Amino acid sequence: MADSQDMFDAIVMADERFHGEGYQEGYEEGSSLGMIEGRQYGTLHGAKIGSEIGCYQGFALVWKCLLRSCASEKDSRKMKVLESLIGMIQKFPYDDPTYNKLHEDLDKIRGKFKQATFPGMDHSDGKLTDQLSKDGTSSRELTFLQVIPVVQL
Amino acid sequence: MKDSLVLLGRVQAHPDSRCWFLAWNPAGTLLASCGGDRRIRIWGTEGDSWVCKSVLSEGHQRTVRKVAWSPCGNYLASASFDATTCIWKKNQDDFECVTTLEGHENEVKSVAWAPSGNLLATCSRDKSVWVWEVDEEDEYECVSVLNSHTQDVKHVVWHPSQELLASASYDDTVKLYREEEDDWVCFATLEGHESTVWSLAFDPTGQRLASCSDDRTVRIWRQYLPGNEQGVACSGSDPSWKCICTLSGFHSRTIYDVAWCQLTGALATACGDDAIRVFEEDPSSDPQQPTFSLTAHLHQAHSQDVNCVAWNPKEPGLLASCSDDGEVAFWKYQRPEGP
Repeated sequence: MADSQDMFDAIVMADERFHGEGYQEGYEEGSSLGMIEGRQYGTLHGAKIGSEIGCYQGFALVWKCLLRSCASEKDSRKMKVLESLIGMIQKFPYDDPTYNKLHEDLDKIRGKFKQATFPGMDHSDGKLTDQLSKDGTSSRELTFLQVIPVVQL
Repeated sequence: MKDSLVLLGRVQAHPDSRCWFLAWNPAGTLLASCGGDRRIRIWGTEGDSWVCKSVLSEGHQRTVRKVAWSPCGNYLASASFDATTCIWKKNQDDFECVTTLEGHENEVKSVAWAPSGNLLATCSRDKSVWVWEVDEEDEYECVSVLNSHTQDVKHVVWHPSQELLASASYDDTVKLYREEEDDWVCFATLEGHESTVWSLAFDPTGQRLASCSDDRTVRIWRQYLPGNEQGVACSGSDPSWKCICTLSGFHSRTIYDVAWCQLTGALATACGDDAIRVFEEDPSSDPQQPTFSLTAHLHQAHSQDVNCVAWNPKEPGLLASCSDDGEVAFWKYQRPEGP
């Protein structure tokens, strides 16, 4: 009696069982694909940030060198800004992607760089915009700052 | 409330375009207006009417969004959608563009002079606030680029007596900045508005800040110093800012500007429903939880959105307003006699 019940059980529950197994397989496959995709994205994005900061650092080091021989008040103020930028770049935790103030510090570095290069900065940026308020606010705006500093030697 | 706001006159300031902003000079004798026609106009009285004394063209390639007079009244700064800020020097009735400040990546939305006259702040759709220092030779230097906001920054305003800067943004917050060890930092973020904060105004003492928003409310914020009697928590030696009053239910559309009269303490608002409203603080209300009453509500003050309201700094009750319809209007406000 119990046997025949089990047999019907197996048939009746087959649908649900296959669903479950299929879901499990899919979930595992999805997780591992997601991990791969995530790693690729992280590598790319991390490289972009690294490249951006590297650019700022190179710029700051060159200008520090160039200004070393100058002694005017304006130049000493510029030196201070460059040194502050170099300091911020050195303190940035490159090996901790989970650092909770990562983007905040990155924005501070960008701001300090802008201050250091003004005026005489050559820059281009790309963005996606859509006008959502009457004075032209864009909401999901992505701004990439690609800087080509002009260094005269 | 009848007749508390009386029209004195209108001028077609910016033909076929929007008039975005107005600024009275410190002496209260001239009004600068700017608009979508890329021009700045300077208005003065001649007898009973307002006439255009100067037109500042050739300064900007796009809309001029805001203008601001220096505390000495000899300079005018203009912020434009062409990403630059022009500094104009006044020579009697003539204005000459003496410097153009560049650096913002896109539209500059606001410019403001600090009361000391040595500092200038600008903000932009590029989400940043810049602080500039000006020396005796009229040379401008950028001393800080602040990237604290996460969206378009709409307005910047300085505290009337301290070197403290406030900014309002599309990210629904107000941020406050001050100088700490040679660098400017954001030391407070005021949250509470549910949409874009369009404008800000400090009260005459600088203890309170009014903000107006797309969420159709005006909020009043108060500064609490560490060790305050009201028991408001502060972190370390930083003052804390708390929202002590919200004016809601009075405006039916976005509030584009708020102006706090430095002479009388009256609060005026410019609304997207074409109306101008004036509020006054109830004299008996608790300073920690003030209540404001609507003392004037002028429907159809303009035929389109009212973009700006500005109280004259010397003549109590004299209010100027401007609109998308390109007009500037002058009003006389009289506090209604209460029962």
